[in-house]
Amino acid sequence: MSAVDNPKQPAKEWEPNIVGFACNWCTYAGADLAGLSRMQYPPNVKLVRVPCSGRTNPQFVLRAFQKGADAVLVAGCHPGDCHYATGNYFTRRRYLLMQRMLEFMGIDPRRFQARWISGSEAPKFRDVVTQMTEEIKALGPNRKLREEI
Amino acid sequence: MNQITKEMRDLARELLASGEVKGLIGWTKGSRWYLTPPLFITRPEEAEQLYFDQFAVNNLTGLLLDYRYGDDKIALFVKGCDSRGIVRLLQDHQIKREKVLVIGVPCMGMSDKKAVTDPRQPVELPLLDKCLECRYPNPVIADRLIGGALVSGEPSEPKGLTASEAAKRGVGSKQADRFAQVKAIEAMSADEKYAFWQAQHEKCLRCYACRNICPACNCRECIFESDKKGWVNKSATPTDNAFFAVTRAMHVAGRCVECGECERVCPMDIPIMALNRKVIQDINELFGESDAGTDLDGKMPLGLFKNDDPEEFM
Repeated sequence: MSAVDNPKQPAKEWEPNIVGFACNWCTYAGADLAGLSRMQYPPNVKLVRVPCSGRTNPQFVLRAFQKGADAVLVAGCHPGDCHYATGNYFTRRRYLLMQRMLEFMGIDPRRFQARWISGSEAPKFRDVVTQMTEEIKALGPNRKLREEI
Repeated sequence: MNQITKEMRDLARELLASGEVKGLIGWTKGSRWYLTPPLFITRPEEAEQLYFDQFAVNNLTGLLLDYRYGDDKIALFVKGCDSRGIVRLLQDHQIKREKVLVIGVPCMGMSDKKAVTDPRQPVELPLLDKCLECRYPNPVIADRLIGGALVSGEPSEPKGLTASEAAKRGVGSKQADRFAQVKAIEAMSADEKYAFWQAQHEKCLRCYACRNICPACNCRECIFESDKKGWVNKSATPTDNAFFAVTRAMHVAGRCVECGECERVCPMDIPIMALNRKVIQDINELFGESDAGTDLDGKMPLGLFKNDDPEEFM
């Protein structure tokens, strides 16, 4: 059972559980570079590698919240840099709507974020993850949309 | 018998007798004065059963999906709101243009049968909210027209035989309030919003009536019926119902033709159109105004992009 499936965290101190969908060509490479460069960043983000940020179905985001994610990050190439030329432009439109839809359902918009992080932007990856972890720590655990077990 | 019903029967008889169409979908008078359900006919003599009045609210376009793999030409009647469903199905390549004969009817506004108090006593009923908010009372696409109906691809005033009746009953009089419910929900705090929607999703039975009536819900196999998708739950718990509601709204995002049928058929009175309208409002604000299903050559907002779309994800 993955950490995402298991909402039971150690009782001592609560740590945010962030699911990140990272595009194979940019963000995943950027995260890899952050690791190679020995950058320190919080281990709260669990990356799921997807071929393109456009592959990230809105249902993935909902499912992550259902299974205990405190926040979801979708990250891909900068507009204009997509490996498939246009995938992230569709991502941008889709998630502009999705973020507003989640807010409409009563979910704090900070719990869903999308970012453009290129393969060479290891410091940006580190900063985004660090900042998001701090934000979610301040917000506290997410109970909304969570599947009751 | 009213004039539109008469013209309906005459045309249906002619079309079926000449063999121009193999089948025809219309409405018939139901078992109560406030019921006018859909009717499928294949023989000219059955045309006598057709009927049209202020309760012929069903959008028939979704029923065409039953014929999408057939070779027979089917005729069907459309009101203004329904006709956008035809454009939806054509744009989604669900039906072939030459396999459907669209007959436009004028609309006097449909009455809300939920206001019926005594089933034996016919009374004057108020209009459905969706008719008060109606912006397309005239068909946007039609091969034949009856009752003096006119084709109009733009928001317009009711035309045809029922124009004065429609104006009197207030069709389209609350167009400006189209997003009122969305605005009201947006004004709530996050926890209030969540409590509101949880209360709605607790009611959902997962009967899928909203999906079945919807001309935009035309997937060959619905993800909620697939047994191979382990990550889509079918249980009717609030969280899974929320999953269903958001997924459905995102699937019809930019394609919803605002016929309001999902909300009307919901047995639990869930404000489904509030979700659809929220998406429509955001699309209008973010990507420019558009009305889905009004223009055959129109592009779907989520099927295209611009280089200078709003950028919030830097």
